Parts: sequence; C-alpha cells; structure tokens
Amino acid sequence: MTEPSHRYVVPTGAAPLVQLKGIAKYFPGVIANQDVDLEVMPGEIHALLGENGAGKSTLMNILTGIYQPDAGEIIIDGYACQFASPVQAIAAGIGMVHQHFKLVNAFTVAENIHLGWSETPRRASAPALEERTAALAQKFNLQVKPSARITELSTGEQQRVEILRVLARKARVLILDEPTAVLTPAEARELFKALRDFVSTGNAVIFISHKLDEVLEISDRITILRGGRKAGTELAADCTPAKLARLMVGRDIVLADMRARPPGAAAVSSSPVLRLRDVSVLNDNGHTALHGISLDVRAGEILGIAGVAGNGQRELSQVLTGTRPAATGVIEIDGHAIAHANAADFVRRGIGHIPEDRLHSGLAPGLSITANAVMREYAKPPVTIAGIFRPRAAKALARQIASVADVAIPDFAMPIRNLSGGNQQRLVARREMRIASKILVAAYPSRGLDVGAINTMLRYIVDLRNAGAGIVLISEELEELLNLSDRIAVLYEGRIMGVLDNDRVDIDEIGLMMGGRLRGEKGAAHG
Amino acid sequence: MADFRLQRLPSTTPAAALGARILAIALALVIAGVILAFVGKNPLALGLQVVTSSLGSSFGLEDLGLLVIPLILTGLSVTVAQQIGAWNIGAEGQFYAGAFAASAVGLFAPLSGGWSLVGMGVAGAFGGLVWILIPALARAYANVNELITTLLLNFVAILLVYYVSTDAWRERGGVANSATPRIKAEIPEFWGLVHWGLPIAVLLALAMAGLLAFTRWGYEVRLIGSNPAAGKYLGIAARRHLITVMLISGAIAGLAGMLEIAGTVHRLQGGISNNYGYLGIMVAVLARGSSIGVIFAAALMAFILNSGIILQTQGLTTSTVLAITGLILFLTAIGDELSHYRVVRDKS
Repeated sequence: MTEPSHRYVVPTGAAPLVQLKGIAKYFPGVIANQDVDLEVMPGEIHALLGENGAGKSTLMNILTGIYQPDAGEIIIDGYACQFASPVQAIAAGIGMVHQHFKLVNAFTVAENIHLGWSETPRRASAPALEERTAALAQKFNLQVKPSARITELSTGEQQRVEILRVLARKARVLILDEPTAVLTPAEARELFKALRDFVSTGNAVIFISHKLDEVLEISDRITILRGGRKAGTELAADCTPAKLARLMVGRDIVLADMRARPPGAAAVSSSPVLRLRDVSVLNDNGHTALHGISLDVRAGEILGIAGVAGNGQRELSQVLTGTRPAATGVIEIDGHAIAHANAADFVRRGIGHIPEDRLHSGLAPGLSITANAVMREYAKPPVTIAGIFRPRAAKALARQIASVADVAIPDFAMPIRNLSGGNQQRLVARREMRIASKILVAAYPSRGLDVGAINTMLRYIVDLRNAGAGIVLISEELEELLNLSDRIAVLYEGRIMGVLDNDRVDIDEIGLMMGGRLRGEKGAAHG
Repeated sequence: MADFRLQRLPSTTPAAALGARILAIALALVIAGVILAFVGKNPLALGLQVVTSSLGSSFGLEDLGLLVIPLILTGLSVTVAQQIGAWNIGAEGQFYAGAFAASAVGLFAPLSGGWSLVGMGVAGAFGGLVWILIPALARAYANVNELITTLLLNFVAILLVYYVSTDAWRERGGVANSATPRIKAEIPEFWGLVHWGLPIAVLLALAMAGLLAFTRWGYEVRLIGSNPAAGKYLGIAARRHLITVMLISGAIAGLAGMLEIAGTVHRLQGGISNNYGYLGIMVAVLARGSSIGVIFAAALMAFILNSGIILQTQGLTTSTVLAITGLILFLTAIGDELSHYRVVRDKS
C-alpha cells in the first residue's frame, strides 16, 4: 500500500473539520438515518461504506445542505452550522461531486467551472475564463483542457472538471459519491493520487463507496453504515475486506469462485448457440457503436463482457436480444442466420434479456406488478388463451415469479415503480430466467443491489448456466466477471480488444485492454 | 407531546379516493352556497330546486339521460387514447365530423328506416375516424404531437358544419335558416325522451373496458402506453397499436356526433356539440383512465351541466354557473391528490 509522501499532521487538540452528531432523517415509512455520528479530521480521507440503502447518500445530502436533518447537529471547525441550501454548505467549504455529473454538456470546461460562481468576473471573454481555468488546474494539479466541450471529454476527464469546480470554490471537504464507478483502473489511480495531494494540505475527503478493496486502499478511516445507523468507525489499517463486509451486511459474505460446476451440471457445448459475425451496430444518433464484432456464446458457459460503461455495452446487449438491428454482419442462433431482428422472435427462441436500465426499458413503471411480471409470457397460455387475457392467471404467474425471486409483495395491483430498485431487478431477473432456455443476456445484473442481493443474483445466474443456458454477463465489476465467467471479452470503443480464458487471465492485461490496448500488446511478457 | 405530520403514500385505496371526491364536491357546494348567500340568493332553496328539478322529476331525469350519452362517448374517446399515451383533444372535431358524415347519409342516401340508421352509424364512426387519421399517422410516423394536430382540426370541423348548415345543406324556406332539414331516420326512444343511444354508449364503455382488461391486444396497448420503450423491448408492433387505438378513439367521438343527430337534435346545425368534445376531456380526467369510470364521471358531469341550466332559469348568470362547475372540478383534482396523504403521529 502506498503511503502518501507528505502526510498532514493534525495539530494536537485541533477540532475535527466536520463533525456530525446524532443525525436523523426520516422519509415516509423509512428511517434513512438515525443516531449517526461522523467525525472527519483535517488531512484525512474518510470512507463511508454501506450497502445500497444504508443511508450514505442521505447523510451526505444532509451535510451538503440538500436535506435538513430531523435531528442532530452539524459542526464545522468546532462551530455548529445549519445549511438551508447547498450554497451555504459550499460557502462553509463543503463540496460534493455526485455520481451523475452535473455539467452542462454543450459548454466548455472553462464555462462549466465559472458557471454560477460568485468569483466569475462580470465581463470575461472566453480566453480570459480559459486562462483562469488553466491557472486553477495548475494550482490543484488537475489536468483539464479549458477550451474543450464537455461532450468531447471522457468520463474520467469530466470527473476531473467536477472536482476542479468544487475545489475552485475553496472547498476544504470534498465528498465523492462512488467516484471510481465510471473510471478505468488507471484513471482511478490518478484520482487517488489527486485526492492524497488534496488532503496533504489539511483538507479532507469523504469517499462514498461499496467497493471494499479500494476503500482499504485509499482511506485512513472507514465509517460503516447499516440500515441508516452507524455500524462503526474503523482505522483502515486494522481492517480486512472480510471484516468490512461483515460490518456492512452484518453477516459473513463469501466472495467465492463460482465457476466450479456441481455434478450433473450441463457441459459447455462444442458449437455456439449464439454467434455474431462481423456485426456493426448504430446507436440512437446514427453513429457506429459496434465495429464489426465477432463473438460466440456456447451453451452452459458464462461469457463475461468487461469494459468501462459506454463503450458499446448497451448496443451489444440490444443486438444480442433483437431489440436493435445489426447494420452489417450476421447473427446466428443455433446455426441459422436471423434475417430481421425482432425482440419477440428472439424471446420465442429462448433468449432472455436483463436490460441495463430496467425501469426505462424492461418495465412499464405505471402498470401493476402483475402486468410487469407477465411481460414475457402474456401472449401464451395460461395467461392468454385464444386471445383472451386472463388477469387471474396473470396474477398467479406473477405470484409465482415473486416467490421464486424472494420478493415480498403486499399488493400485486400496485404500480411496480413503488417497489425498490433492488426488488424490481430481482423480479426482472427471474422473469427473464424463466424464458432464457438458450441464452440470457444480463447487463449489469448486480447494479443497484446490495452485497447480499448481489450474491443471490449471481447464484441465480450460475444455476441457469448449470441448467445449460449460455450467459452473456456484461459488468463493470471485474471481480464479478472473474468469479463467474469462463471467458472474458473486453469491449473498448465498440471493438472487442480480445477474449481471454479465465484460467489464464491477467488482471493487468484486462485493465490495459479496457483502456484500449489490444490483447498481447502489453509487451514481451506474453511474447 | 405528539407531533402530527402528513405522509404521502405511493398509491391510494379506492375508498379513500371516493371519500376525497365526495368531500371535494361537498366543499365546492358549501363555498358556492356561501357566495350565493352573499349575493342575496338562498343557497338552500336553490339547491333543493336543482335536486328536485333534475332528480325529482322524470323531465329532469330524461334531460340527464340525454346529456350523459355524448359525454360518455367523448369521455371514452379521450380515455381510450390515453391508454396508449395519446391526448385526443380533438373529440370535439371528431364529434362534428361524425355528425356531418351521419347527416350526409341521413339526408341524401337512398336508405330507409333501420338501414338508414345503420348507415348513419357507420358513417358517423367513419367520419370521426377520418378526422383523427392525419394526427394518428403524423404521430406514428413523424412523432408530431397529437395535442396540437387534433386541437387544430377541431376548428376545421366546426367551421365545415357551420358552412353546410347555413349554406349548402340549409333548409330552404325554414324558420331559422341555420340548420339542415329534419333527418327522417330517428333512433327510437325507450324512456320518455331518452333514446337507445344511452344503452349503446354504456355498452361501448363496458366493451372497451373489457377489451383493455381481458385481451392480449389490450394488455399490449396498456404496456406501450405506460412505457413505449418496453414495447420495443418486447418486440410489440407499437406503431400499429398506436394508430389503431387513435382511430378507435376518433370513431367513438364520431359516433357520439351521429347519436346526437339521430337521437336528440335530428338536424345538423352549428354548435351542435355543446362543447361535448372538450367536456369529454374533463370526464376522462375525472375517470382517471378507467373506461367504466367514464360512465360515472359522465353522469356527474351531466348532473353539473343540468344543474347549470336550472340555475340559469333561476336568474344566475352563465358565468356563475361556470364558476361553480370549475370549483367542483378544481377541488376534485385537489381531493384526488390529497387522498394520497395520511396523517401520522410522531412519537417523541
């Protein structure tokens, strides 16, 4: 573990930079936070760890003035504060970089930095703003191109602009919400370096994450939230991933290799079930999103698709499930070329799809849970017989899917948008697995789930593989891909950088491929 | 110390929704009563007058029955389009187009008796369908907002009917010079003035409710209406469904125009719709997407309209009556929203 070269030494008796005491926040029917204490010292990187729904975001929204606490105190530099709005919080030196960036895409970096900032000169030309931005970038050692438009930047660069914007406003506490979720490993390392520089002058960072390894790597202390309450604050040096996982979920979690087949599991077929041959696909804007991709998926195997989100994963999952046509190339199912892609046809052939944005494409949010649960099987008996839709049979099927998915549902007539994201995801997963006799395309199946639910979800996928279906697992979590996949293909800017056998996988090589190197380009090591 | 606060629930129970509505209507009537008392009217006497005139006599009930027919159909027209996520603001124009087409058949087609009525019915529905055809295709193929297109076509239909009823098809030597000759084919009455259009409208509403709830097609329509992307995900022919549903919506409004001609007015004249097309939007809003709810919402709307007419005979201005109507709808909308809330007690 790399120790920062210039550690900030806290003067004895110094007040914490941020102190939260007994914070509570209630939402209808939910305790988001209760009795939460948090203390962040100058020079500290403090991680906030917790499952989805543990109350991390709520707590930070309180600290940044977006929410007002129902109970408790906020103490900054030893003085009690009340933030009625984010503007007051930033004035007190507390700035946050959200998971979804709040940048104006059509503006340049310099314009975004100066937008809504009291120190922006009243009359400033574009070059003047860019000069100021360059000076700020120099000061905080964050490389940005002041004249570039946001749309031209990579996600990592956009994040740097967000951070610079917060730091320019003289933030002394920088809150980052899952900052590495959108970064390549190399970009993440760069971010960590910038964070260490930032705290070395007596500032502080609050780092929200649910990735255990990176929390251990970057932070000095770790506060764990569970069910809206504080489960403990630990020195990172005293922690192991297993200990943190236990604190986070309140039980032991085994991050196991799930590739082993139990006796009786289906073997990997010799010929592929689903095949892409030189397939190119256009995205919604008519640009080529996939460039001549060739992939084979065999029955009984899990093919992992690694890569940073936004490199063609969405289009890949759509072309594999017939929801987006191929511009060129051939799609074969069981050796037969499919002439006209049609989602209903793919479903009939036994191809299921867990889409990445389930609420927007995989569900009808305003309709009942029943209507959503039967989406794949509504057209056939027992739900529809001779064109007649039978609500009673639909409800029975929905009940069955919900019980297998282990989701407790008080009222099946309730709109599905009232369910939590995790429960929606479980229902969609189970619904798709019922029809995925040949192939399941699962895009980010564990996204939005907590550790316990992720394990259940991955177990479902393994069971389906054991039953003989081929799985395409698209994920950003390398660990998840390594635990499950038989082979891993790396997607970068719409191209397959290479397909690796999991037995001979080199994490550094995957990282390089995710960053755009072709397989074997790494150098002599594999030569 | 206990602390009370409001909590919003994601969904509401039917009982709470109904209760909120009854409360809203009662509150609107109380407010209206207070205002009436201020301007020197006796609200209780007026209220009694309204209730006895519209519900207490067969004349009043027959008027209600006649009013409710077009309101059910135009409300149904808007509700059906809503199912697939389209706003048909053009029920008014489709009503006129249906009345126009039905009158053309009634006046000029060489059909007799029952066949003439059947011809008028087909023509009326077809007229409404034609009137929504362009907005439907424009929405389906070019994503042109149907709010605008259907609304603008209303004016075309209204003026077309004014033109033919005061010029081309005018009754020569008639009294008013502003209507066509009387159309011979008439829908028979089954109770006083109320004709068989009423059961037809109610059955149509029930049939649409059934189609939507108990057919595969209806399920697909509701699905696409809730989320067009889900239609794509499932490979449903969303465009075809959109066009079909919008054409059905137009045909229902057109049929309303035909029933008004053949059952109630018997001549084509300007202003024949009495704004039923626009009132249908309010009926649909009150019915909250339920085809069966349309029947009850239309009945309520008919009662409000009828009360308005009675109040006008008692010396209240049209504006006052409109204000009371607006107050009821306004408070109902608030009541719908408030039925999502409940008071909870904090223990501290």
